[in-house]
Amino acid sequence: MPLELHDETANLVGVVTVDEVEQLAGWLRAAKRPKVSLRRCNHLHTGALQALLLFRPKISSAPNDAFLAAQVLPLLTGSSGPANKQGSDPP
Amino acid sequence: MNPLLAQFLAEANDLLAQVDEGLLQLERVPGDPELVNEVFRAAHTFKGSSGLFDFPELTRLTHAAEDLLDAVRGGRLTLDSGMTDDLLAAFDLIRGWLAHVTTHERLPASAGTDAAGLITKLRAPLGGEAAPAAARTAGVPAPVIDVAPDWLAWLDAEWLTETAAWLATTSSTLRFVWYTPDTDCFFRAEDPLHLVRQVPALEKLGVVQPEAWPAPEDYDEYTCMLSFVVVTRAAMGELNHLFRYVPDQIEIVELDSDAITRHLSGEPPLRAEEAVSVVVTAVIDSEVSADARAVLQAAHRALTLEGAVAEGARLRSVRHAVAAAAWALGVPVDVAESSPDELIATVVRLAGEAAPAPVAPIPAQLQTQAVAPHEEKEPVGRADDPGGQVGTRVLKVDQEKVDRLMELVGELNVAKNGLTFLADAAEEEFGSRVLSRRIKDQYAGLHRIAEELQAAVMDVRMLPLSVAFGRFPRLVRDLSRRLGKTIELVTEGEDTMADKDVIEALGDPLVHLVRNSLDHGIETSDERIAAGKHAAAKLTLAAVADGDAVIVEVSDDGRGVDPERVKRKAYEKGLISEEELETLTETEAVDLVFRPGFSTADQVSDLSGRGVGMDAVRASVEKLGGTVTMRSKFGHGTSTRLRLPLSMAVTQVMVFSVGGQRFGIPVDLVVETVRVPAGEMSRVLHQEVVMMRGEVVPVIDLARALDMPSTLAEGADRPILVVSVNNQRVGLLVEQFHREVDVILKPMEGLLAYADEFSGTALLGDGLVLLVLNMKEVLGLAARVA
Amino acid sequence: MTSDTATRARVLVVDDAATVRLYHSSLLTGAGFEVSEAANGLEAVEAALVTDFDLFVVDVNMPKMNGYACVEALRSENVGSAAPVVMISTEDRPGDADRAYLAGANLYLVKPVNGDRLVRVATMLTAEVAA
Repeated sequence: MPLELHDETANLVGVVTVDEVEQLAGWLRAAKRPKVSLRRCNHLHTGALQALLLFRPKISSAPNDAFLAAQVLPLLTGSSGPANKQGSDPP
Repeated sequence: MNPLLAQFLAEANDLLAQVDEGLLQLERVPGDPELVNEVFRAAHTFKGSSGLFDFPELTRLTHAAEDLLDAVRGGRLTLDSGMTDDLLAAFDLIRGWLAHVTTHERLPASAGTDAAGLITKLRAPLGGEAAPAAARTAGVPAPVIDVAPDWLAWLDAEWLTETAAWLATTSSTLRFVWYTPDTDCFFRAEDPLHLVRQVPALEKLGVVQPEAWPAPEDYDEYTCMLSFVVVTRAAMGELNHLFRYVPDQIEIVELDSDAITRHLSGEPPLRAEEAVSVVVTAVIDSEVSADARAVLQAAHRALTLEGAVAEGARLRSVRHAVAAAAWALGVPVDVAESSPDELIATVVRLAGEAAPAPVAPIPAQLQTQAVAPHEEKEPVGRADDPGGQVGTRVLKVDQEKVDRLMELVGELNVAKNGLTFLADAAEEEFGSRVLSRRIKDQYAGLHRIAEELQAAVMDVRMLPLSVAFGRFPRLVRDLSRRLGKTIELVTEGEDTMADKDVIEALGDPLVHLVRNSLDHGIETSDERIAAGKHAAAKLTLAAVADGDAVIVEVSDDGRGVDPERVKRKAYEKGLISEEELETLTETEAVDLVFRPGFSTADQVSDLSGRGVGMDAVRASVEKLGGTVTMRSKFGHGTSTRLRLPLSMAVTQVMVFSVGGQRFGIPVDLVVETVRVPAGEMSRVLHQEVVMMRGEVVPVIDLARALDMPSTLAEGADRPILVVSVNNQRVGLLVEQFHREVDVILKPMEGLLAYADEFSGTALLGDGLVLLVLNMKEVLGLAARVA
Repeated sequence: MTSDTATRARVLVVDDAATVRLYHSSLLTGAGFEVSEAANGLEAVEAALVTDFDLFVVDVNMPKMNGYACVEALRSENVGSAAPVVMISTEDRPGDADRAYLAGANLYLVKPVNGDRLVRVATMLTAEVAA
């Protein structure tokens, strides 16, 4: 099961597919102070990434997956560069 | 745009179409020399014209295609499907380029690289790249550097600065991909992030988030709102391959240090191929003498070639050319009477002269116009810029294809209607109201799209009435001659549009009406003059749109219909009673001509008396859902008015069942549906009737009329469908009412083709075939059964 | 041809490609020629029967009647035109020029023709000199 959901914490495991997106978004919507562990996550569906970007849960542990760690984690932990800003149209 | 380029684009469109068509036909009829020649000629002409512009890649690619086709034409190669694919691909690429040229007046920057692979493929069957072409391309094409696009701004400036410095040091380039997934891409099982993580040699990834996120409660997790900027060392080919399924969602550019630096400094982008100003030098003497010597050489060749006939016009033309060249060289000669041999001697002497200065320099009356397209700032687009078009594009589409499209729209409607059944099932059988509502939401969205699609397809099917009117000038001319009548045909409103099926179906009734008018309505010139009319009769065909209908009127200023004579005739034929003979109004009398079996012509003429009367006209028009009325003023003319639906593709049908089977009836005819307690039914003579608001409405038992078992319980309420036919209310006793549906009516075919009680069939959402009743026939049937 | 020549020289541009026709005729019109156009050899021959042209600029590869056949017809007794013919073709193979000369052409140029050159040659060949 790619989603292990508890009251305030969630573990994303293996490949999170589009089928898990609704459930994940629902949990994020409901949880007061959600914490998400990406340690065992190998891939996030774009929809799941998008939900994480919107609800901004605290990331409790970094992914082992190299791509996620290098490219995706920085987006979720707030150290966002210009490309990640919630900005206006490109100048 | 320079008119020459515009001309080229317009011509290119036709030529490319010819090439495509020819190639596809060749696949079916391989080796047809005529076809090969046609394709070759089109490609050849295209290449010739392309050479006029500064589009070297275009000329090179067409040249490769032309050489391949030439080899096929010459029988040196047999065209196989691989070659056809390559040729089609080449011309597709060219079409993409021309779309770019149409908007930007230059080839896309990637043209060279895009063409290279295809040229190699096209030349492979011929034994590789032709030597001269290879010399021109000068080795490996340098990567084409694009202009930095605006979306580069999504990348961190610091990172860009560092990267630019590194690219400068290493003289290398990077590919930048701008990937904006469609918002509904998740539904197509696309996962943009998954695609992005497969990009080899990823240098940098930028994830662009929406300007404003929706509130959490409004957030739709299935709408993709992210975009990506991907920077990679991967080759263009790798990227094109990776993103091959989402080509319309991506944009790829190749940038070097300069391009990035320019972007960072905010300088306007420098075109990769900076315009080089060409100085047109004045014609110098040596050019004129070179031309002159070329003419002399040609003359020499023409005179000495084996088989060259140097006499008559040919000889005189050579004399002329030689004299002209000599004059230009400043050594005038008189060769007016020279024999071929003397001419050869003169040419040899002239050619031997050391290039003398011309007597009078020939002025360059015209400097070559810059045929090269302007270098203008343009937004960076992909090679086959989908925004552009080659010239103004008008598609000629096979009718069958439009019909097929319409059928598919019909099937879509059917499938869509199926969703409502599913929603009901979800609620009733599975007890899920939520699922039911979600299905209904889906249905609503689908319904809107289906409606728009339907409207769009219907629009494609619209044709002007001129198509239906087109045959009449000739017909009227021929017939009027034969009848010795002088007739002026006037057509009005030919631009009125109607569905092609309506236009087609109008043909026969119109011919009949026009023939009728010529034959019976319009008098001979003598009669007309005697009646104080203009010798030439006037026959008018007029069309006008009226809401959802089109009205077509055929009118003449002939003798009109004599109501008394019509009545008498109808009476004689037993069509009306003696009482009616007395009481029928003039209008009603005129309407008698539409009765089956009525014909006013005393003799059956060879023109319209072929056993088909006005009743046939009315029947065929009513079959289309239209009406026919005739107005006539005795002595002054007749006007027959056809009113037809603008489109007959979609009909709203009320569904009901009888004897356990479902039938339909056009909603237009339905006045109301009522349930009458069995006790309120009564009988007048043999006819069942029901009183409705003081009116006696006859009720027809459909089960009986259609010869089906009646399943209604003895004392149960009677479901009655009240319809209006010919302004008369009739109740139809049915078994159960169902919903109204939009259907595409198909004419009856096969075994049922002669079942007149049905006007057509339609497919329902649950796959059942619905028979749609032809009310008039059903009433007749009911009368016979009773 | 001098500038005070009373009538302008008449040129017939023959090419099936409308773009090429437009190119050649606009070059020549701009240079002061009176230009007519024909889309194939047959049209050219028909035009030549009606009008005495001073020069023909003829494409080789055309439908209905190709350039060679066209020039042959122009030189035939039926038409009998002795006006210079410049053939312009995309073909640049050995023998192509000879076929043109055999047919009766006076110059063979390969496409695309430099505009200045076309005007120069046309001017030269229509000069009112001897013959």
